[in-house]
Amino acid sequence: MQPVPSIKSRPVYEDIGIDPAVQKHLFIAQTGSFDKLAKLYQACPSDKSCWIVGDDTQESLPDNSRFVSQDGIDTVFGEQFADLPISSHIYVAGQNESFLWDIHNLATRAGLASEQVKMFEPVTNQRRLFCTHCYTLTEGVTHSPYECPGCGRLLLVRDHFSRIHAAYVGVIINAEDPNDIPETEELS
Amino acid sequence: MSAAMKVHVSAIRKVAPTIKEFILTPADGEFFPFSPGSHIVVEMQTDSKTIRNAYSLLSDPMDNRQYRIAVRLQPESRGGSEFMHHEVHEGDELTITPPNNLFSPDWRAKKHVFFAGGVGITPFMSYIPEMLRRGADFELHYMYRSTQTGAYVEALRDLIGERLHTYDSITSSRAEIADIMAHCPQGTHLYICGPESLIDTVRYRGQQTGWPASHIHYEAFAAPKPGKPFVAELKKSGKTIYVPEDQSLLEALEANEVEIPNLCRGGVCGQCRSPVLDGDIEHRDEFLSEKEKSDNRCIMPCVSRAKSSRLHLDI
Repeated sequence: MQPVPSIKSRPVYEDIGIDPAVQKHLFIAQTGSFDKLAKLYQACPSDKSCWIVGDDTQESLPDNSRFVSQDGIDTVFGEQFADLPISSHIYVAGQNESFLWDIHNLATRAGLASEQVKMFEPVTNQRRLFCTHCYTLTEGVTHSPYECPGCGRLLLVRDHFSRIHAAYVGVIINAEDPNDIPETEELS
Repeated sequence: MSAAMKVHVSAIRKVAPTIKEFILTPADGEFFPFSPGSHIVVEMQTDSKTIRNAYSLLSDPMDNRQYRIAVRLQPESRGGSEFMHHEVHEGDELTITPPNNLFSPDWRAKKHVFFAGGVGITPFMSYIPEMLRRGADFELHYMYRSTQTGAYVEALRDLIGERLHTYDSITSSRAEIADIMAHCPQGTHLYICGPESLIDTVRYRGQQTGWPASHIHYEAFAAPKPGKPFVAELKKSGKTIYVPEDQSLLEALEANEVEIPNLCRGGVCGQCRSPVLDGDIEHRDEFLSEKEKSDNRCIMPCVSRAKSSRLHLDI
């Protein structure tokens, strides 16, 4: 279930359908999250293709799925997106929210409109954390406060989401007194 | 009217059978450069009323010596263009607003495609010098009727050569809009300025073919259309104002010293939104959502009017 955002910048993932007017549909899933878009993929009658980021560890993948390593997405999708016809939609499912927005940002850099990138609610609640003090990005953060591996500061993980960094913003939680260590809370 | 500026009309020339160009120079001080797609609002004092019309600036945005506008004569209107054509002479002084922009190019676009209909060429005249400076990829599709419009064709041909595609409805075939849209590469943004029929055609085609709506930009001719006369009652100021058929509600309010913040005077920017207590609204704007329109609780007085004979406003 999606948490109700208390901060405007936190993304909300809407229900997704297929627009029959759209010419080309590209489905992209991180390993382990194809199930999220399987139904829509099966229901899509028009020109479509399926890309998996990671390895083939699932049984239910459609024929002709293509695989891309996480390290290769900038090159592979960067070119792929720029060659799409203007009437295209991209559907993205991921374990992590940061993955969805990395794909979104690749697509918009290639010229697509934001509304052409359809994102499914992420499978886990793992966040990418952006330290506002040393700019370190940390993947897989699930609790707050979190010690920044870049500068060692204890960060409050805020709900404020940066689409450019595909990350949540972290700010020092005990700036006045470094001995004040608040209790750890799970993030939703 | 925000921060009015005085300007001199330093030259007037006919640039098409029904279009006159006006070169405006500063009465004092100097002009600022503006952003491509900007417009100014020109104030026109007729014997009976004040008309304020928005006109796109068509000069080079970096040229701060002059602002140029082109006005098409529209006999079936509220009289602004007739005033500009018949009452304004070289050497006259006019009052304008500083430039505002509601039709700026999206510089993230990989390619820009312009559809201009008739006098709708004007905003693109200010786009092109900036596009050339930036080395942007663009093409212009210019539709006109040479017995009426078609200004600047020769100048444009010299400036941009093959990137200009002209369609004179008197002598040549019509633009294949669907075909042009179908062949746009990924990352193209479309810009339309012209009559509503042209804007509707492009937007409808976009919906039919899955074009990203946020990459289709348009600007209609801003002047409000005339309608039935009605009476506006104002709760806060206690005034009762008669709005004649050829005056907009905003103009009638201004004539009665009720100042409303406004920018575009064409129903797109949202600045003049005003609350309505009672009466049926005839919405003519592009700003309010369908729900807001059906709620009947607010009006954009720059273009919208009353269906009923009275409108009660909470201003």
